[in-house]
Amino acid sequence: MKIAEHLEFSTFNFQSSMETIGTQVRLPFKRALAIAVSGIRIRLGRSLVTVSGVVLGIAFLMSNLTGQIVKTALSEEREQSQRVDMMMSLVNAEVGSLEDRTVAVAAFGRVTATDLAFVGRVNSSGPALFRAHGLDRSGLTAVSLQELGKDADLVFVMGDAASASISLQELTAGMASPLVLDTQADREYTGEVGDGIRREPFFGKQAEDMKEEAEVAARTERFRVTWILVISLLVTVVTVANALLMSVTERFREIGTMKCLGALSKFIRRLFLIESALIGMAGSVCGALVGAALTMVIYGAMYGFGKVLLSIHYGQLLLAAVVAVVCGSILSMAAAVYPARVASRMVPADALRSTV
Amino acid sequence: MAREIIARATDVTRRYRLGAEEVWALNGVSMDIYEGEYLSIMGPSGSGKSTFFNMIGALDVPTSGTIEFMGADLFSLPEDKQAWIRCNQIGYIFQTFNLIMVMSALENVTLPMILRDEPQEQADARGKEILEMVGLGHRVHHLPDQLSGGQRQRVAIARSLANSPRVILADEPTGNLDSKIGQEIIDLLKKLQVEQGVTIITATHDSKMLEISDRIAWIRDGKLERIENREDVEIKSGSMH
Ligand SMILES: Nc1ncnc2c1ncn2[C@@H]1O[C@H](COP(=O)(O)OP(=O)(O)OP(=O)(O)O)[C@@H](O)[C@H]1O
Ligand SMILES: [Mg+2]
Repeated sequence: MKIAEHLEFSTFNFQSSMETIGTQVRLPFKRALAIAVSGIRIRLGRSLVTVSGVVLGIAFLMSNLTGQIVKTALSEEREQSQRVDMMMSLVNAEVGSLEDRTVAVAAFGRVTATDLAFVGRVNSSGPALFRAHGLDRSGLTAVSLQELGKDADLVFVMGDAASASISLQELTAGMASPLVLDTQADREYTGEVGDGIRREPFFGKQAEDMKEEAEVAARTERFRVTWILVISLLVTVVTVANALLMSVTERFREIGTMKCLGALSKFIRRLFLIESALIGMAGSVCGALVGAALTMVIYGAMYGFGKVLLSIHYGQLLLAAVVAVVCGSILSMAAAVYPARVASRMVPADALRSTV
Repeated sequence: MAREIIARATDVTRRYRLGAEEVWALNGVSMDIYEGEYLSIMGPSGSGKSTFFNMIGALDVPTSGTIEFMGADLFSLPEDKQAWIRCNQIGYIFQTFNLIMVMSALENVTLPMILRDEPQEQADARGKEILEMVGLGHRVHHLPDQLSGGQRQRVAIARSLANSPRVILADEPTGNLDSKIGQEIIDLLKKLQVEQGVTIITATHDSKMLEISDRIAWIRDGKLERIENREDVEIKSGSMH
């Protein structure tokens, strides 16, 4: 066919009357977004490779964060069961087995999870009667403070209140050998300590020593954890930056072509910024999911799924996911800024010649 | 009719540095280019034709000298004015096509329209129309590497026409094509010049191109050797008989 004959010049506007040099329009953000999205779409294969670079980096970060959360939860749970063990062994040393005994518990203020776990353990060791005041749990018989001690072999006192609203005499009224085990050694009771009433703290000197030891261990653990997170963040930075850097530099030629056709440097930077933000977000969300899921499966297989799923703090996990996604998105954008800036500032002829 | 100057090169040089070695691709070229003329630039390979094109087309900065375009010093214009010129006033047809390989023929052709913020639907409709005119109506969604060399060249031509430029810079537009398609492209460029007053600047080795040019500029080793009017060439070749 003859091209020249088919051209309908009437639809063109070659004899533009414009005699002054105009200013190139700045494309609105919506337009840039649409172009960036279509850019990702037409390069879907390559975009997925870039995304998977981000996924890899963020999954690594997220799996370390999740690992720490799971480990902390598991060690908290282990510590709690150790403390309950200690409390039970004190109980057993004082009164022997709790089977068919009458025990009572009074709570002042808020009780800790360890206290509740202890109450549960006492309840399951077969007492004939388990009275409680200020603590509403199944298997416990709620009574008034004054009735708590009647015929009881043992009274537990727990909760974070600094003082109890009863005297020890009243609390132990009706007990054959009055014995009070308190989770706080220095809790104040009203009135005098009566004769023949024994009051023991659950955790004495030995427990304080243990606590100190645990704190030292926790400090070294915190250092180790920080170190691992810093390293994993660095690995993430390198992986994500590399993925984005590659995706921009291999397009220098294309950038040159766009500039020949009238693209402004600012528009090109914006295009890459939007693209890297989208890729960063998509990659980070996937990475966070993959990282968290994989880590939980591994810990679940090692320690039991029920235990892992029940003990972790989901708030922390969510926070870690948010941190990882924000990190991934910002990193991706930051990694694209530099090459996009270099590319956008290139003289078009140089950009066209590049063969990266 | 007074001849308006659309572009003027004054003492343009361009030096490339390759390590310690210096290459003067252009070595003091001065030339006026008139609105509406058909100018062919001739010269052996490596003489600096593409380098000169890049300067006129605002794609590369001279080492020294100035380029005026529409009366303004091109390289002291702010970036958004240069971009406006590239987008609205010049249509480029590159020696190596420079199509975006991941974009379809249509997407390549609509790009100049989109860069001046024409609505997508309008650009698409117009892009299809132009592609049809160059005989690629049935290939609009093909990627450049699914097209033949001649078809790619036609996509490049369609793209260069998209914004109705006043100047078309064509670097060896017939270089890699068979003579039939080459002739079609020459006819097209000539028709654009004669009927629409579009300024055509081509670099070429093609003698057919010389026959239809108004002026021929000879470049050798980065220097402008001479400029000839076609009439003079014909007279000369006529006198040789
Ligand atoms: N980017 C570059 N770096 C170094 N030298 C270059 C560069 N581009 C061009 N040159 C040199 O500048 C000179 C002119 O090159 P140019 O591309 O302008 O030639 P040309 O006349 O277009 O040749 P052809 O007909 O083969 O396309 C050549 O000697 C070339 O080697
Ligand atoms: Mg060349």
